[in-house]
Amino acid sequence: MILIDSVARKFFFKLICFFMFFLMCVVVSGCSDSKENAADILKVGLMDEPKTLNIWLASDKWSGRVLSLMYQRLYIRDPDTLQLVPWLAEKDPVYDESKISYTVKLRQAKWSDGSEFTSEDVAFTGRLIKEFKVPRYRARWKFVKRIETPDKRTVIFYLEKPMAVFTTRTLTSPIVQKKEWVQIVEKARNSEKPLITLQNHKIEKPVGTGPFVLKEWRKGAFLFVRKNKHFFGTGQKICGRMLGPNIDGIIFKFFGTSDAAVLALKKGTMDMFWWGIQAGYLEDLEKEPGIRLYSNERSALYYWGFNLRKLPFSDVNLRWAIAILIDKDFIITRIVQGHAIRMDSVIPSGNKFWLCTDVPRYGEGLTRAERVKKAYGILKKAGYSWKVPPVNEAGELVKGKGIRLPSGEPMEKFTILTPPADYDPLRAMSGMIIQEWLKEIGIPVSAKPMSIGALLQKVKSQHDFDAFILGYGRLDIDPDWMRSFFHSSQDKKRGGNKAGYHNPDFDRIADESAAAMDKEKRRNLILEMQRIILRDVPYIPLYTPDLIEAVREDKFTGWVETLEGVGNLWSFCELKPK
Amino acid sequence: MGRFEIGSYEMSMEKLNKKSLNRSPRIARFRAGWAIYRQNLLGKIGLTLLVIFALMALCSFIPPLIDPMYQPMTGVDPDIAKSTGPSLRHWLGTDFMGRDILSQLLAGARVAFMVGVSAAFMSIVIGTTIGMIAGYMGKFVDTLLMRLADMIMVMPTLLVVLILSALFGQLNIWIIVLIIALFRWPGVSRVIRAQTLSLKQRPFIEAAKVAGASHMRIIFRHIMPNVLPLAFLYMTFRVTSAIIIEAALAFLGFGDPSTVSWGMMLQWVWKTGHMFKAPYWLLPPGICISLITLSFYMLGRAMDEVLDPRLRKEAETG
Repeated sequence: MILIDSVARKFFFKLICFFMFFLMCVVVSGCSDSKENAADILKVGLMDEPKTLNIWLASDKWSGRVLSLMYQRLYIRDPDTLQLVPWLAEKDPVYDESKISYTVKLRQAKWSDGSEFTSEDVAFTGRLIKEFKVPRYRARWKFVKRIETPDKRTVIFYLEKPMAVFTTRTLTSPIVQKKEWVQIVEKARNSEKPLITLQNHKIEKPVGTGPFVLKEWRKGAFLFVRKNKHFFGTGQKICGRMLGPNIDGIIFKFFGTSDAAVLALKKGTMDMFWWGIQAGYLEDLEKEPGIRLYSNERSALYYWGFNLRKLPFSDVNLRWAIAILIDKDFIITRIVQGHAIRMDSVIPSGNKFWLCTDVPRYGEGLTRAERVKKAYGILKKAGYSWKVPPVNEAGELVKGKGIRLPSGEPMEKFTILTPPADYDPLRAMSGMIIQEWLKEIGIPVSAKPMSIGALLQKVKSQHDFDAFILGYGRLDIDPDWMRSFFHSSQDKKRGGNKAGYHNPDFDRIADESAAAMDKEKRRNLILEMQRIILRDVPYIPLYTPDLIEAVREDKFTGWVETLEGVGNLWSFCELKPK
Repeated sequence: MGRFEIGSYEMSMEKLNKKSLNRSPRIARFRAGWAIYRQNLLGKIGLTLLVIFALMALCSFIPPLIDPMYQPMTGVDPDIAKSTGPSLRHWLGTDFMGRDILSQLLAGARVAFMVGVSAAFMSIVIGTTIGMIAGYMGKFVDTLLMRLADMIMVMPTLLVVLILSALFGQLNIWIIVLIIALFRWPGVSRVIRAQTLSLKQRPFIEAAKVAGASHMRIIFRHIMPNVLPLAFLYMTFRVTSAIIIEAALAFLGFGDPSTVSWGMMLQWVWKTGHMFKAPYWLLPPGICISLITLSFYMLGRAMDEVLDPRLRKEAETG
């Protein structure tokens, strides 16, 4: 009995030792493995999780950011000059004036599954967008009449009419693989709602030509992309930049708040936070060793918009008065804490080639009292009257009351819609402050922050609003979007012309600019469009916020700065572990 | 005419005597209650804190009169354009725009009282009325009202207000007060109903019925005075929850943007990224929210002891 007991005990002891040894081996091998990889894996923080990996559905910025590393374009912007440079294309497009066609030669490239990237893929993408009228890209392709593929590496685009935006807008659309999408397209085509079927198709592993490919997406936890071994740019010099990727992959982690992300950055568990850092964190982060802050201009427009479809906003005098009363410098220095650039035109100041500088600068350099007096003068001259005018007979300022329209009717109280404080506290605060400024002159107004979805619904779809404060981020360098914002044909439900602005002169010049193939001529037309807009002020441009990004430079170097910050394809292709 | 005058004089004298007779036991009762209250340490601390907050609320009107830069929402210091620590000009410092934090804190006290007391009062009025009617009428009316109370009781108030805010845009402070009141009455109504069920078995109710008093008269004339102390006790607890809900809403960015409340101040600290670097801005509203809710809770506990002799006995024996 004792013998059996001791044998059994020895056996169990050996068994336990074996398991312990086995376990140690697994742990050690796992650790060494993960250590090797972890050193070369960039950890990037996102504020939110991507909504989808279906490129035709992705409209949120988080999906867009992840997908931009997989699906590539024919041409992209040089980070220094912001000029278009060939990416999936081999060289600049060749324009044939007689045939109104563009010929594009493609680069030798492969999809992430190893198959060859051909002109068929480009043609397929274009046809797909046109056939399904994919909302995000439809306008870019609607003037493309026909696409031909004479050989594997040549695509010819035939246009209905000369379009200047073809190269800047159409040729910068993402290209998808025909092999991956052909069956999905077939299925969608035969369904009742083709576009919805196409957009609702769940893409598990996107096949792209970009520097990274999806490895794993654990919902709610992280998304991991690894280096694409078939990436066409690896070891090549494009724009004078030697491309990698030199890192093994990128792990995207999702932080609901900036606080958590900033703490992770300080702790070193994250290498980059792909989102603007608020002013309050800057001082603290600047002192942190290993962290570097990059401040770059954004291609963005934050603005006040009127509903010109109704009184009193259809009166340009009231719009001028409000433009004078809004103290942009106060908003920039106080609310945005100096991390923004004053906008006097609708084109961001970083876009120097297209920016018009000789536009009216409403209220620039005026004190509060001077603003009130000037606005009062404009309105009085236009026939507005007050029960208690904001400037009394002695020329002193008093609180204006009982404002009446030139028709004699009292001005009804109106609402400024702003995004809510949880979405953008700065715009919500701007609305509150502007409300107080307008009240000084007796304009009855109240700011109403509301959820961004409901706000856009009211402004874009229902046209049920008085005034609003909104912003456009990541505006294209080519300011063709001005046409969509202010052309009278866009004054429709879900159209780009939210203000309901109608001006035949503007429409004519805008149409002419879209067709102008001569760059200098087009520039002059765009400048003229800005002058008209700033004279009629359907929008009051407020500011372009700076983009301040924080990265850890003790692990990776090689961030590429450009308009819209260091979070760009060039950075991810050039970054190197230290 | 003369007779009439004499008659009316006699009548008014009689009323006066009745009033003074009525008043003296009330005053005596109040004095007795106050004597018990004074012995309660929690009650004394709670009341002291409340007086301080009430003074803060009253003082909130003073800073803007001294200088427009002390306007809690729109006033900014012309020389300061960022968050700075306490100074002689700004005793608690300034926020990210250069607004005075002390002025905001004082204005926040006013809002807290306004929200807390009005939401609690409304919920008590609704809860007491429904509780009395349900308890007195019984049967179908009781079942109907209590099931309604159950349904509302399980609804998360904060979530409902958040959804409403998302749907209709940010809500006005009075709408928030109303919503809080509409969602916080079921607890009170349950307690009042239980009390009414016990009261309606008492002989004085039977006597009133025999004397031909209507249901409404019995409920509001005979039952209500007996349940009111309990209702007011619950009001102190409701004030606490109303203040917390408003602060949470404002902190999450769904408060009334035109109102400077303590929750709103916390939201500004958070959203502008000053959470870890501006304790002079973060702590005061946080501490005030904690202390005001604590003070109402302490007040409620002390009043509980005044109203419930059993608790007094326990305390005395303990």
